[in-house]
Parts: sequence; C-alpha cells; structure tokens
Amino acid sequence: MDIAISRLDDGFGRFCLESSSPSFANALRRAMISEVPTLAIDEIRVYDNTSALFDEMLAHRIGLIPLATDSSCYVMRKECACGGEGCPGCMVTYTLSVEGPCTVYSRDLIPADPAAAPTDPDIPIVKLIKDQKVVLEARAELSTGREHAKWQPTNACGFKNYPVIEVSESCDACGQCVDECPRNILVIEKGRVAPIPERIEECSLCRLCERACMMTGIGDEPAIKVQADDSRFIFVVESDGSMPVKMILTQALKYMKGRSTELLEHIGEISGVTRDEEKDE
Amino acid sequence: MIPVRCFTCGKVISTAYEEFKRRKEAGEDPKGILDDLGVTRYCCRRMLLTHKEIIDDLNPYQ
Repeated sequence: MDIAISRLDDGFGRFCLESSSPSFANALRRAMISEVPTLAIDEIRVYDNTSALFDEMLAHRIGLIPLATDSSCYVMRKECACGGEGCPGCMVTYTLSVEGPCTVYSRDLIPADPAAAPTDPDIPIVKLIKDQKVVLEARAELSTGREHAKWQPTNACGFKNYPVIEVSESCDACGQCVDECPRNILVIEKGRVAPIPERIEECSLCRLCERACMMTGIGDEPAIKVQADDSRFIFVVESDGSMPVKMILTQALKYMKGRSTELLEHIGEISGVTRDEEKDE
Repeated sequence: MIPVRCFTCGKVISTAYEEFKRRKEAGEDPKGILDDLGVTRYCCRRMLLTHKEIIDDLNPYQ
C-alpha cells in the first residue's frame, strides 16, 4: 500500500492511495472524519448575557469555533488521571468579557493555554449595542467527530476511484466526446481521442463521453470507455485549521492500526492462539 | 448573525462575511468576491449569498 502525495499543506491535502481496496479507503476516510481527537468548547458558564442572542445560541456558536489542537498535550477527559472531573491535563478554560457597542469576535476568548487559542481570530460571535454585555467562562475538551461534528478536524474529506479511460480501435476522432466532457480532459491526438495525462485525475466518472459516443451511431459499444480502478483512490482532505492535514492523516492511520491490533488480540483470545504462538509456528 | 460554519461541509465562513458584505454593498459582483475570498464550494457560497442579517433589528429588544 502506497500513498503518493500531490499536494500537502496545513489546510489542504490531496493524495493518491495505491494498491489498496475500497473498504480500506473508506475506513481511512471515516477514521479521519470521526476518530481523530480535537479540542472544542463543550461547556460554558454564563455570568452575564444581555445580548440579543440566547445563552444556548451563544454556546452553540462558541462551540463551533475551531481551536488549535496539539493532542500530545491533552488527554480525553474520561481517560484523564483526574477521573473525569476536569483538570488542566484534559481541559482548557477560556474567559470572555466584552461590553458593547462592538462585535464580539473569537479573539476575545482568552485561553488559559495560549497554544489552544482559536485558529481564526475574526469569527464574529455576537453584535452588541450600547449597554449590552457578555461575560462568560468556557471549557474546551478533547473528543472526536463521532460525538459531535464540532470535534471533526476535517471539512471536506472524501475519495474517488482513480479513473481508467480506454479508447478502442473503432474511434473515428469525431470529437463529440471532447466537446461533451465537462472537465475538459480529452483531446484528439494522432487521429484518435486520448485523455490529457495531467488532467485525468479531474475525471468525475460521469460517463457523458460514453453517451456522446453512442449518440454518433457507432454501434452497440462506445469507442471510449471510462472505468473506475478499484485499487487506486484519489483523496481530498481539508482541515478546519485545528491541526495540519499531515497530522490528521497520521493520527487516523495510527487509530486504524490500534484497532486492527485489538481485533487480532480478540480473535486470538477466542481461538486460543496467541500472537507469539503464531510466530513460533 | 451569520452562521459560524457552512451547514453542509463545516468550513468556517463567518470570517468572510464582513468583507463580503462591504464589497457587495460597494456594488461588486458577488461571484468575484466569493472567488477572491476562497469560498469555492457551492454549499459555502450559498451560506453567504442567502444570508439575511437581522441582529440589528433584534438588538433594541431584550
């Protein structure tokens, strides 16, 4: 199994997963979305709120703010040595105190740990007029997207099969498919239609080219055939800013490895064969 | 208030709203503004295009 990265920066990643299977690709996608822990504000204590928004709406908006997460610094609350009560090892506290007239932004949330500040300082929370006031305390904890979407580290995270485009001998280079293709990936080359190598990954497997080919009255079979490669996948991962894409990917893979080891152990327990015995055999 | 994130994909779009509003009121074409601001997906674009701000109408009332 190989990963060929075509673009990787902190906010966006595009890579090709090779010699794999659809189930593995989907498992990786799901792990990246819902099993990578991030920080998000989960509890707020409102001391004063005379704004036009209800406390609940404020809490919801504040919860959605992405926070910079270094997951090596924090542990999940239920796994923490404090026994789930909440301590600096599993929680970050923030204070917010603003008086109008002004707009409250995410930068007004003052974190106890500067490393866990909101990634975007300009998220508007609520607009205040004169004499309106918001004073609150918030607590962020580590959790996963499985619990709530605010803990998802990814925005758009998905994959598609690698397209395989085959053009048979019967192609007469009429150019109908070239005009039809919405992603402009086909050209006429040496009297036959061929995909542009740099653009082939753009193919959405819509098969409009096959249909256009059939419309020309070529016969029962179109000269151009688009197929999906079941062992290669193009992934697109976009981070919400809480952690770099590389981190999301490595953590998701680590999670998958942990789970499969666990499965092996359980199977070993049931069948009575331990992993050491397996090695001896 | 503008929603913090896109309802569909979860991208933070509220940060783009103030600039979007200012430039739209100056008469610019919304398509160009959204492209400039890096709002590429149509789910995120509709968040900004179809938003109606009512906080100023609500603010006088407690």
